[in-house]
Amino acid sequence: MNPYTWVWPYVRRNRFQLIGATVLIVLNALAIVVAPLLGGMIVDQVIEGGHTERLVPMLAIMIGVTLARTIMRYCYTILFERLGQNALFDIRHDLFAKLQSLDFTFFNTTRTGDIMARLTGDTEAIRHMLCWVSYNAMECVLWFLAAVIVMSVINVPLMIALVVLTPLIGYLTFKMSGQALPVFFNIRQSFARLNTMVEENISGNRVVKAFAREAYEVKKFEKLNRDYKAQNMASATISRRYLPPLDFLASLLTVIVLLLGGGFVIAGRMSLGDLVTFNGFLWMLNQPMRMSGWLINDMQRFAAATVKIRAMMAAKPAITTPAVATPHVMHGAVTFDHVGFAYPDAPATPVLDDINFTVEPGQTMGVLGETGAGKSTLMDLIARFYDPTTGRVLIDGIDAKDWPVHTLRDQITVVMQDLFLFSDTIGDNIRYGNPQADGSFVRQMASIAAADQFIAAMPDGYDTVVGERCVGLSGGQKQRLSLTRALVKDPRILILDDTTSALDMETEAEIQQHLATAAAHKTVFIIASRISSLRHADQIIVLRHGRIVERGTHDTLLAQGGYYAETYQRQLGANEEGGEDNG
Amino acid sequence: MAKRNTYNEDETLKQSFNWHDYARLGHYLRPYRGKLALALGSILLGNVALILGPYLTKVAIDTIIPHHDMLALSLLSSVFLITLLVAWACYRYRIWTITEIGQDLLRDMRTDLFTHLQTLPFAYFDSRPHGKILIRVVNYINTLSDLLSNGLINLISDFINLLVTLVFMLAINWRLTLYSLVLLPVLFIWTYVIQVQQQKAFQALSNKQSNLNAFIHEGIAGIKVTQGFAQEANAINAFDAVAEENRVAYMRAVKVQYALWPGVQNIATLTTALIYYIGIQHVGVVVSTGTLIAFLGYITNFWNPVINIGNFYNSLITATAYLERIFETLDEAPEVTDEAGAFTLPPIHGEVAFQDVSFKYAPDEPEILHDVSFHAGAGETIALVGPTGAGKSTIINLLSRFYNVTDGVVAIDGVDISRVTLASLRAQMGVMLQDTFIFSGTILDNIRYGRLDATEEDVIAAAKIARADDFIQTLADGYHTVVQERGVSLSAGQRQLIAFARTLLADPRILILDEATAAIDTHTEQLLQAGLDQLLKGRTSFIVAHRLSTIRRADKILVIDHGRIVESGTHDALMAAHGAYFQLYDAQLRMLQAL
Repeated sequence: MNPYTWVWPYVRRNRFQLIGATVLIVLNALAIVVAPLLGGMIVDQVIEGGHTERLVPMLAIMIGVTLARTIMRYCYTILFERLGQNALFDIRHDLFAKLQSLDFTFFNTTRTGDIMARLTGDTEAIRHMLCWVSYNAMECVLWFLAAVIVMSVINVPLMIALVVLTPLIGYLTFKMSGQALPVFFNIRQSFARLNTMVEENISGNRVVKAFAREAYEVKKFEKLNRDYKAQNMASATISRRYLPPLDFLASLLTVIVLLLGGGFVIAGRMSLGDLVTFNGFLWMLNQPMRMSGWLINDMQRFAAATVKIRAMMAAKPAITTPAVATPHVMHGAVTFDHVGFAYPDAPATPVLDDINFTVEPGQTMGVLGETGAGKSTLMDLIARFYDPTTGRVLIDGIDAKDWPVHTLRDQITVVMQDLFLFSDTIGDNIRYGNPQADGSFVRQMASIAAADQFIAAMPDGYDTVVGERCVGLSGGQKQRLSLTRALVKDPRILILDDTTSALDMETEAEIQQHLATAAAHKTVFIIASRISSLRHADQIIVLRHGRIVERGTHDTLLAQGGYYAETYQRQLGANEEGGEDNG
Repeated sequence: MAKRNTYNEDETLKQSFNWHDYARLGHYLRPYRGKLALALGSILLGNVALILGPYLTKVAIDTIIPHHDMLALSLLSSVFLITLLVAWACYRYRIWTITEIGQDLLRDMRTDLFTHLQTLPFAYFDSRPHGKILIRVVNYINTLSDLLSNGLINLISDFINLLVTLVFMLAINWRLTLYSLVLLPVLFIWTYVIQVQQQKAFQALSNKQSNLNAFIHEGIAGIKVTQGFAQEANAINAFDAVAEENRVAYMRAVKVQYALWPGVQNIATLTTALIYYIGIQHVGVVVSTGTLIAFLGYITNFWNPVINIGNFYNSLITATAYLERIFETLDEAPEVTDEAGAFTLPPIHGEVAFQDVSFKYAPDEPEILHDVSFHAGAGETIALVGPTGAGKSTIINLLSRFYNVTDGVVAIDGVDISRVTLASLRAQMGVMLQDTFIFSGTILDNIRYGRLDATEEDVIAAAKIARADDFIQTLADGYHTVVQERGVSLSAGQRQLIAFARTLLADPRILILDEATAAIDTHTEQLLQAGLDQLLKGRTSFIVAHRLSTIRRADKILVIDHGRIVESGTHDALMAAHGAYFQLYDAQLRMLQAL
């Protein structure tokens, strides 16, 4: 698909503006003919002919036409801006909506700065195309046509002598457009890289400072900054090759008119007034010629900018709602049936292998395992952030793939390891999953998560504004906020992924006690490395290298004397010799 | 903590654009004044053709064609042609030079802004959405390119054109020239009216663009939360609302901006009509036909630069809405800077002393630390224990001089750290934070961030000690596996191991572990212990409470509460004292025994 057929549906929604603007452009092009015509008439009739009484009406027409013309032009430039803005709004909307539908695999492999460049810098090039290039190109074509018509009325041979240059101009612009596209594409790429680098520098500013790497960062930045300049200079190389000859050809028209037209006048085949009129129309012919290079440049800039946008829009998420998904009330039974999983970028290294278990509604399952054993991945499969490579994940006996994704995520909440908060108040962040939740419910859930106290102690309580990385909050506070947010969502299945690791044991025990009643009817998964977090679970599995190596309850696992029992002994032992965990 | 602003909150401008800022712009132009002059020269030379055009036409129409002198006409055309060839060469030179000046300016300004950002305190980054900072460095600066290169040079050449044209006009007919200028005051008034509105409208627009950028940035960074909570529809609605505000502000701005041109155009036409009218009264008396036609040609040449200057002014007003934001960021004072006469901290042993240190974020904010004093001998391990919000992280931030103390002195090896350069101080400290940031790039590069000249072997050795080697080996490309920002495909524990290796590689004299191992499981943590022991050995270490087993072994434990040290001593001494530490410890012991 070429960029123009791609962008057309967005433009078509504004066809009334487009039609209105086009009518105005045509009218304007007609009106623009009037001034030089009048100029010629004044010379012929008033100055040469001596009809001074015709001067004032002619001037009045000239002024009136200019007034009408400028108003029309103002109107259609605004119409085009509106059209462009509407289209841009829709394109951005579609891009953002697309982003919401893409799965974790996409975000694991695409840089934030890259995506941002799509939504900001690249859309800017589209705006420029729709709001400016479009009508300038139309104007140029119309001027050109109008000039050709009027000039043929005055003197056909002279007109032909000028228009003969057109194929040459066409050839130059064609050559230019072919060379400009890859250059503009490189500029867009370089822009995205620069954007990414700055974005990461800002997000990672703590690490930069902690390692005193400011100078290194500036060096890294300067490299990209220089590259961005170099890419822009590459575009100047093309411009300087083609724009001056185009300009030369445009100016050449004046010489031709003077030489040939003058010759005609001398030969008596043309009046002096006609020559003056002809000369007055010249700009309508040479302006499009001058502009052609610039317009082609801008059009190729637009085409380059759409490449990445179109690619993003065409990206197909693997996780989608099936065409026939039956709406279903979730009870909360979870079954893993011979589930295996490997990340798409490393298909040879399975992260999970032959996982089998069933958790009944309302049950709690604990998961223990080393860093990187596959615990979080297991949880990601339940909420269908990924699909298993082999086997099936069943929720209430129905394959997770057959559930509407929205229902699934609405009823399954993962409290993730790293808390992301939006720059908004704590209250609104907590309500993120359930914007309708009322204040008393929010506070109740915050109490369960042992967060109410510290939130209330903040300067503005629940109205305190926090930021993307919730800096200023301790690890334990973050985890409690994260838990509160999940509880306010009130899902059927609650997944706690190492949610209480940064809490002291007392607070953790308090939360667990609360949860025992508050989440009694929910299916709960707890990933933890502390035995104290897991011991009350109805069943516990131990993961190692992606396989379940032990399963049972706290008591049976202790009796088995495996990894679980060993971990228990370690934690208890560490305590006896002086305590294990603190807050 | 500084008050944050949110994505949908307009940032108020500390200071509006003023004449002083033009001087600053001039400062950026200074290094390129030679090139600018050359570019200007090429434009002027190129414009000779433009100015000669109407003159040659006048000569042709007035004398040559009426005299049927074909030879002279050919000669004149040849002269014309030559000027066009000169214009070609000039144009070619100009495109290149002007693009280069423009790009150089952008590069300089961007580098300045980026470099300055590196000196700004955490509070700056913590108090606003990151998207709002990003847009200034990348997008806003881009808007200036054309204005500062092409725009500026065109402005100068337009002024010169204007003057030259005026001289030609005066030479041809001074009376008509005066009539041509009659309407200029109207033009000035019109321009002023537009400018006032336009400035406001573009300030509003830049705010909305900044908000949109902030929203997009958060939308991407928080996508997992959005999807996890099935809030996609709400996110899209919120996005539409921000985008709609942006659209409205944009339309308002261009409606004002575009109103300048019709005004100028109409004034130009009125002037032309006036010249026709006046001129024709005098045709044959004082004005020849050719003179009148030439004069009318010059009128166009006169109004073109006027329109261009108007356009330049227009873009300047637009650009100031972005420039003032850029300058505002450049003016943001770094809280912590090298003091005058700061010296390089020599290699340290690692003796740390806090003397009566007090701290508050700002003069009007409550004090967070009160008279904190302690001493840590070189090579000692100091554990900081205490409830959330007690001030543990603040003590650590003061030690790295991320903030300056409000009162008192922090000294390393007896040297007040406020007197040494930041780079020399921080290069000897290793801070491992609770939130581990991973840059997009290979794992190798991420670990190497700790010591840029480390070889691959060094990196692997560090990763082995940090127990990160095991899982890195299982990744598709091992150490060359590319991970993305925030390391989304790595678990929290894995990221901490990478951060651990990174710190290990940095080989700092003073080590700070701020809740650094929370996400690592017991088993790995015990394996890590050997590495940790190696890491702690021979360096002064500060550990913010996590594993009591590590804390117990600390040479000194500081119990912090409400911004004060309430207890300090070894584990045994504190246990014997039966104070706050004892209670904390005892409570946990009982918890564990209940297992």
